[in-house]
Amino acid sequence: MRRFLALARSAALEALAEPLSAVLFLVALLTVPLLPVFHCHQFGDPARLPRECGFSALLVFGLVFATSSAVRVIGGELASGTAAAALARAVPRPLFFCAKIAGVLLAFAVFAVAVSSATLVSVAVAEAGEIQAVAHGGSRAWIPGLAVAVIGPLAGFAIAAAANRFFRARFCVGAGIALVAAQMPALALVVVLSPVDMAWNMLPALGVLALGCGVFIILAGALAVCLPPAVVTTGIVLSVLSSFVWPVRAIVPDMQNFWLVDAFAGGGMPSAGRLCTALAAGLMLSAFWMVAGSILLERREIP
Amino acid sequence: MNTPVVEIKGLKKTFRDFWLRPVAEAVRGIDLTVEKGDVFGLLGPNGSGKSTTIKLMLGLLAPSGGTVRLFGQPPRSRAARARLGYLPELSYLHPFLTARETLLYYAGLSGMGGTAAKRRTNALLEQVGLASVANRAVGGFSKGMARRVALAAALVAEPELLILDEPTSGLDPIGTRDVKELIRSLASKGVTVVMTSHLLGDTEDVCSRIAILSKGLVAACGRTEELLTRKQDARFTVAGLDEAEAKAFAADAAARLGKEVSFDHPRVPLEDFFAETVGEAR
Repeated sequence: MRRFLALARSAALEALAEPLSAVLFLVALLTVPLLPVFHCHQFGDPARLPRECGFSALLVFGLVFATSSAVRVIGGELASGTAAAALARAVPRPLFFCAKIAGVLLAFAVFAVAVSSATLVSVAVAEAGEIQAVAHGGSRAWIPGLAVAVIGPLAGFAIAAAANRFFRARFCVGAGIALVAAQMPALALVVVLSPVDMAWNMLPALGVLALGCGVFIILAGALAVCLPPAVVTTGIVLSVLSSFVWPVRAIVPDMQNFWLVDAFAGGGMPSAGRLCTALAAGLMLSAFWMVAGSILLERREIP
Repeated sequence: MNTPVVEIKGLKKTFRDFWLRPVAEAVRGIDLTVEKGDVFGLLGPNGSGKSTTIKLMLGLLAPSGGTVRLFGQPPRSRAARARLGYLPELSYLHPFLTARETLLYYAGLSGMGGTAAKRRTNALLEQVGLASVANRAVGGFSKGMARRVALAAALVAEPELLILDEPTSGLDPIGTRDVKELIRSLASKGVTVVMTSHLLGDTEDVCSRIAILSKGLVAACGRTEELLTRKQDARFTVAGLDEAEAKAFAADAAARLGKEVSFDHPRVPLEDFFAETVGEAR
């Protein structure tokens, strides 16, 4: 267990310590809450744009984060020699693979929680028509929540910079954690002040998207065992953009025609059957790629 | 009869390309035995198969032929690897971890945790002279400092077999001397050391046995003393003899023995001279 924890912790830190991760966090967390402010079209459904943007941010930024982190942690370590230094010790190779993947999943969970929280805030703000209400002299009850959601990420960066300056704390890791922490006050404010019900029914859908990204973390990690990191990253990104990855379509299909998004139109939500199917597919694929990655690493020579 | 710490028989390794065509025959049939307490040096020019042999010993590569046994067990067995420490040729470290976190990471990989791991980490940081920079990320370390961290990481689990690939690479003369003293001290405590080095002087100083590899084969193997001593010649050192007295002594000895006699004045090893000079300057 100690070996597993040591490996998982280093993988999570490695994923969060990458500057690209902090950039993805910041862009996603600024884009989603700001949408209610900037959007000009409501399509008769004020929450639709922030909701779909939240889904897209989680999926697109999540896939980039997931793929790049998994490839760096598995393929990068095999290429750089840190994996050899670890595997020369009494560390079984399947344990190494599973622990590293668990670490990346943990780092991704931090990202997913932050984006999900930002999406809930954004949808709630849009549904209340807060911006329009303010423009017409209506209630300003939403301002604190929105303000904290927007200012939070910037404050998170400032806190991380101060911790780095005065305590030599890792900037990117600190920024990632601070960005997530900064989302929580915004969510709490919106929950307390909300005149409409929170869209908690989005959580299963956000969970399914996170699960899809999780599958990609394991897939990318397994492929990175035997392929160069650049090939895996390029291949997966191209595959996703082209929607050619047929096995994962069940959970990560074309966003233009996506049952998960369509289900929310007109105040509906995805059926329990579809969510269960997606959950089963995701878990099955995760297990398959986890076993495949472990076997590939077990058989691989480490020069 | 004691089981050898390392036993290699007929070891071969052929690297192949994607189509399984042979690309390079790195090791072509090596037989070696390392006993407990040996400091064993693997020498050879670039491409002679030293690093490949080390990686075969560690189970990172699979042999094309022959066998490797560590403590009587296959190198991939957990029981064997739990008893060894490894210092790679390059100090592969996670740049985002501090020196202390790096050692705690490797302690964790060795199954150590809690207070024992912290105590061992602090002791090693003191031992390799990095206690004052323990909380700095190793990504900003010099090559020599990173080498010290990697060496401490190899020692963290108190191994019975220490495999060192170019242990003094990147170290200054003082650091090199410290490492050599550390190796001698570990050997005196019964730790078996297998090391490679391009620096023949370092190997000669610390290794009780050496093997010289050439083109994937063992060209010479034996006790360092036996391989390097020319027993048919004798050399005397007489203290307080100037040039004229030495010449007269040599001529006298030559006449008496009827053989050619030569002499020279002993030199202080540069490493000792450097250490003394730097020590005085400090």
